[in-house]
Amino acid sequence: MKITFPHMGRLYIALSTAIKILGGDVVIPPYNNKRTLELGSLNSPEAICFPYKLVLGNYMQAIENGADAVLMIDSPGICRLGQYSSSLRTTITDLGYNVKFINFDLYKGKLKELYVKFREATGNRNPITLVRAINMALLKINILDDVDKILSYYRARELKEGDADKRYLKGLREIEAALGHKEALNAKKNTIEYIKSTPIDPDKEIVTVDLVGEIFVVLDQFSNLDIEKELGRLGVHVNRQINLSDWVKASIIPSFLRFGDTHEEKARKSARTFLKRDVGGDAIESIGDVALAGKQHSADGVIHLLPFTCMPEIVAQNILPNVRYQQDIPVLSLVLDEHMGRAGYITRLEAFVDLLKRRKRQAGKSLKVAVNAG
Amino acid sequence: MKIGIPRALSYYNYYPFWHGFFSELGVELVLSDKTTKKLVTEGSALVVSETCLPVKVYVGHVLNLLDKDIDVIYSPSIQSIAPKIYNCSKLRGLPDLIRNVVNKNFLLIEPTLDKSEPNQGFYQYLYESVAPLGITDKKLIKKASKAGWECMNNFSIMTRSGVDIPTAMRNAINGKISLESTQKEGMAKVAVISHGYNIYDEQVSMKMFKKLKQLDIEAYTSYNLTIEQMNEGIKNLDTVLYWANEHEMTGAAGYYLKDDNIDGVITLTAFGCGPDSLMIERITRYAKRFNKPLLNLTTDEHTGEAGFVTRIEAFTDMLIRKKRTSIVNSLKRQVVKKEEEKRLVGVE
Repeated sequence: MKITFPHMGRLYIALSTAIKILGGDVVIPPYNNKRTLELGSLNSPEAICFPYKLVLGNYMQAIENGADAVLMIDSPGICRLGQYSSSLRTTITDLGYNVKFINFDLYKGKLKELYVKFREATGNRNPITLVRAINMALLKINILDDVDKILSYYRARELKEGDADKRYLKGLREIEAALGHKEALNAKKNTIEYIKSTPIDPDKEIVTVDLVGEIFVVLDQFSNLDIEKELGRLGVHVNRQINLSDWVKASIIPSFLRFGDTHEEKARKSARTFLKRDVGGDAIESIGDVALAGKQHSADGVIHLLPFTCMPEIVAQNILPNVRYQQDIPVLSLVLDEHMGRAGYITRLEAFVDLLKRRKRQAGKSLKVAVNAG
Repeated sequence: MKIGIPRALSYYNYYPFWHGFFSELGVELVLSDKTTKKLVTEGSALVVSETCLPVKVYVGHVLNLLDKDIDVIYSPSIQSIAPKIYNCSKLRGLPDLIRNVVNKNFLLIEPTLDKSEPNQGFYQYLYESVAPLGITDKKLIKKASKAGWECMNNFSIMTRSGVDIPTAMRNAINGKISLESTQKEGMAKVAVISHGYNIYDEQVSMKMFKKLKQLDIEAYTSYNLTIEQMNEGIKNLDTVLYWANEHEMTGAAGYYLKDDNIDGVITLTAFGCGPDSLMIERITRYAKRFNKPLLNLTTDEHTGEAGFVTRIEAFTDMLIRKKRTSIVNSLKRQVVKKEEEKRLVGVE
């Protein structure tokens, strides 16, 4: 049985490692590209959200490449995500493909569901190997997020454009190849060393931006046109607020194994004055993050990403002007879909970064005046 | 005591209940005016453009109430109607959205009904509905809810026996029951599948029922069905209940697609409706399997009436022609059969 799964940023590294450890055959679909989107859009409902189209495209390309079992996830996102698997199943069957569907139903259980479904997917019945595989997948998700945080610092300050990214990609290959616990931690250490060896200008004038929004488009470099890299090029230190490790902590790790509040619980508290109830998806996190961005994280601005027709994020987008007004922080909402043009997108980012820089300079000036006067 | 209820969204599903409930407690309800183009424009101006039409209409109605000097507005959040059966995000966050976009001074009553949470059930919802008005006697609230259900049941009985919604609503509120169907026999029978707030809002649906009546077509909706029939419909489409308002879409469609008396199905959705995008996808795929004519209409604040009418006319023409052909064919078959019988008798 050849197993495949959809892409979401660098999630494939964690998932393929787990399947490899379990001795399963894995077909990683080609990373999201124009053709993926074309295939997906062609067979999806018109007004469905953007991630659905990419996920369907991934499955189709993987099936073309010989996959005959697909992993799906039903997660309590309580938006359209909960219906992805049943709708995808109808579509793939209608297209005439004969594949096996293995569904991680996170409504039913958390770690246990992962355990049972990995066992079903790979046929490996050894409990020790299974636990090790799940553990490695979770470890790699954490490693990738940690590395990204460091990368973002060096990207904004590098002397030569693309230098930090080159070193990061070298490390990424090591992380991907690692199969053991020690090996993975070593790969992490090496990657951080590579990135830290990037020549930088520590005194460069930079602005910090918090990146918030819907998890798929925030994490997937194809969907957001690699916004973190583009912002880094413009001299922006990006603090991504939505991380896969936070999602794992909130939805997979059982509550008695957690330390401290999850990201969602923190966001819920800070969003309370604006949004009293959970409306599904990542809406409450988006609002909570913006409410925290200015005063707590001392960010200069916030970029809010959402896929077109995303229901929870539209609620968030409607509420954000009020948050922005009360917290006095600039917010740029970017709606992403298959019709997004690169040039217009970059122009908007540049304009926003210009605004942030000018704002920061002015604030600095008024601070100096105040100090002199004092 | 006066509270304002926007004539939009859940008004079309629950107003008879609210009327019975609040009247029993001595609260006067004030409705906003019927939807107009101006009202939609005013509502759209306050929210981002991606928001769906029904929510824009809702904001317009809230503004309309505030213009009437009503300063208490009732805006419930129907989170979930059964364990793990949730509503659309925009309906769940409706009071939050109103609070953040309407920048005026008014009291917003925002009760939450969330049956997936242990302490947010129906009576808690009713309690939150009237507590801001100073009514906190739980026994009184329970008694009033009975009056609410009575009004709601009268309304449902009338709609199920074929009374149109405006008449049924009027009768239920006045405490009358009339079971005389207002449906006149037409040349073809069509099921109109949509949410109540889309089809019964004359501005949004562009008086679709009037048009269908003029074309001599009988129209049926989810309001004519019982919950059991709609559950059967959901089963017909090989799915399970996922959305709180899925009964009136997938349920009704599933029932009517398998109903031989219905000649065709028209679906009407607002542009950008999240749950509908998936439900319509399923309905479309199954309409093909069941071999039932289907017309999908999408509407938003820019939809032109002429194009809309043309498509309905073309669709109903097609249905009538199909029906006529099938009748003619069956008559022909009968004639052929009789001749065959005669011939056989002659041979003997």
